Amino acid sequence: MSEVQLTINGQKVVAQSGQTILEAAQAADIDIPTLCYHPALTAWGACRMCLVEVKGMRGLQTSCTCPVADGMDVQTESDAAVEVRKFVLELLFAERNHYCMFCQMSGDCELQDMAYRYGLDHFTYPRPYDKLPIDASRKYFIMDQNRCILCMRCVRACSEIAANHTLNVRERGSKSMIMADLNVPFGDSTCTECGTCLQVCPTGALIDARSAYGGREKDVTHTETTCMQCSIGCALDVVTRYNRLLRVDGVWDSEPSGGLLCVDGRFKPLYDNRKRVTAPMVRRDGKLVESGWDEALGAVAEQLKSGTSQGLAACATTNETLDAFTKLFSKVNGEAGLLEPVAPALGYGTAAKLSDILEADFVVVAGAQPLDYQRVVGYFIHRAGDNGAQIAVITDSQNKLSERADMTVSYADTDKVVKAAADAEKVVLVYSVGAKGKIEAAFRELGDNLSYLALSPGRNQKGATAEGLKPAEPNGAATQYFLMGEQAEDPALLEKLNGAFTVVQASYISPLVERADVVLPAPVWYERAGHVTNIEGDVKAVNQVLPMPEGVRDDAVVLAALIDLLQ
Amino acid sequence: MGEKITLASQWLESCAGCHMSLLDIDAKIVELLKYVELSSTPITDLKHPPKEGVDVGILSGGIGNEDELEEAKLMRERCKILIAMGDCAVTGGVCTMRNFFTKEEVLRRAYIESESTVDGEIPVHEDLTPLTDMVTGVGDVVPVDIYLPGCPPSAEAIWFVLSELLEGRMPKLEGKVLKYGMDGG
Repeated sequence: MSEVQLTINGQKVVAQSGQTILEAAQAADIDIPTLCYHPALTAWGACRMCLVEVKGMRGLQTSCTCPVADGMDVQTESDAAVEVRKFVLELLFAERNHYCMFCQMSGDCELQDMAYRYGLDHFTYPRPYDKLPIDASRKYFIMDQNRCILCMRCVRACSEIAANHTLNVRERGSKSMIMADLNVPFGDSTCTECGTCLQVCPTGALIDARSAYGGREKDVTHTETTCMQCSIGCALDVVTRYNRLLRVDGVWDSEPSGGLLCVDGRFKPLYDNRKRVTAPMVRRDGKLVESGWDEALGAVAEQLKSGTSQGLAACATTNETLDAFTKLFSKVNGEAGLLEPVAPALGYGTAAKLSDILEADFVVVAGAQPLDYQRVVGYFIHRAGDNGAQIAVITDSQNKLSERADMTVSYADTDKVVKAAADAEKVVLVYSVGAKGKIEAAFRELGDNLSYLALSPGRNQKGATAEGLKPAEPNGAATQYFLMGEQAEDPALLEKLNGAFTVVQASYISPLVERADVVLPAPVWYERAGHVTNIEGDVKAVNQVLPMPEGVRDDAVVLAALIDLLQ
Repeated sequence: MGEKITLASQWLESCAGCHMSLLDIDAKIVELLKYVELSSTPITDLKHPPKEGVDVGILSGGIGNEDELEEAKLMRERCKILIAMGDCAVTGGVCTMRNFFTKEEVLRRAYIESESTVDGEIPVHEDLTPLTDMVTGVGDVVPVDIYLPGCPPSAEAIWFVLSELLEGRMPKLEGKVLKYGMDGG
């Protein structure tokens, strides 16, 4: 990289060689209009909005793709550039249904912004009234071809960021249409509903079913927080209005996933209709009845003072809560453990960051099923494959990653993978709880070339491990159990509690809650504040997005109150 | 500002919201009347612009039937400056939804198939004006001098256009007076 001097609109600008005119202009705070350009995607040069005049060059140049050169003299708003932009806009408005009055994006639409900027006060050309398809076959978002300007942002997002390659274009010219796979309904396609295309769409072509018409950018509140749906810990931008959840967006350039989310983080939590626990409850005459906090906490403290206690945490909670939990059980000399299993560190090699997957030339997936449980890791592995990395899957059953992997072998043939990876410069080994013991010896010979990512089912597993919490189950000796956090329904766990006095701190009604002797209501992900430790070991803020319902208290505060009662 | 200018308005295929927005200029309407002589409007006794003509004509609504087409032509003939007010007058607006169907389909849906209709029939009478094949904006059938989009255009935008004309300038819409649909509403 070397410095390049150029002039933009008469202003001297210093840029780096390899930068585009657009990047140089943006760095110098010079605004060039764009439509198909998106900073998270490769430049496309399709929409012609960013055309600029470069002295000495024939015609106009797309500034998003034209590299800077020393001595360039660029005019971004010359008469010729403005005239062409207006013409392009007039054609775009003539092509499909761009009537703003019944579009949910009106007010936040990039096409509309451009038309305002260039003073379009009416349609110049008559438009055809072709009835283009609207596809609502997916649950969470809708594709309206009538609003599409074929900027290809969605297509690029699907292949470059999600590496899913579902979206493409069929036909040519004015008949061009975004399609899924070989033109099947979106709901029947290979789409994984990660929603990245929805987030990058500049117009109303991709519509979020929940937040459409729910509020314009000027009306809504954004709260950044950390996703707690799996152990990765992607950054979330939660959009709310009137204390209602509208939408979740990814945060570009954030660690660890760079803005990529999955259906579990972006959509599903907004559709959670499970019944909440909204007040403390105690069992009286065999029945769970609502009580005040004082009565419930008093009952728990009384129990903890006598007999032996065991605390079992599902770690979908903050580091602060896990810390208070550990302290409480150390106070009562009880055992504290984790309900989820943990994939232990490898014992050699270095811990991988998510970005290491993209830089690897060999990725091994042993046992782990990230496309089901830590989807963003799965998408990163697909991206690595697209970048040319070899992908090897080790499994004795099935793994969705096999479909695009270079090799899939059984554990018995692990050596074959080690051999294939021997010449690789950078190997990332992704493994699950059960796989570690079966493969750790074989990969040791790869030495310093190897980094690893251990995928555990616990959501804030890294935070729990940092607190010294280890996997445990009801030990049978305790006279009372304290179960904290949201976990998968597990009839075996209920069995193991074996009739002992049970305190459950939970957000939702479940068989476990119904069986409890005391129930303490806990906040859900968007009501919590504190920190979690993400898959890379970084401590990330969890910010409260909406207030807790009356009757619910933060679990860390409740645990601290219990410690006080035991003084 | 010199002599009073004369102003006529008419609504065509329209929900009347644009004229409501015109009334939304509130107290300024009193000021406006100092400089403007209201001629024919949908809310005054005179329903058509006078033969001697007016200075400014305002049309809201799209062109969806023969009567609206005639009204648009009449206003164009009898005014010096024609304003297409609101998204329907500018582009056809919401009314263009029927352009995705044939006239026959539209009439059948409205008069026979609609859920609240029992034994419906498509009305035919010499007093009833036939639909045009397509709904269009005013500018597609007569020359328009000023386009004022919005659904509806804000009172502020309407006031801006009228006050610019009173000052003898052709208004150039930009910034917060250039909005489409309900943006800004």
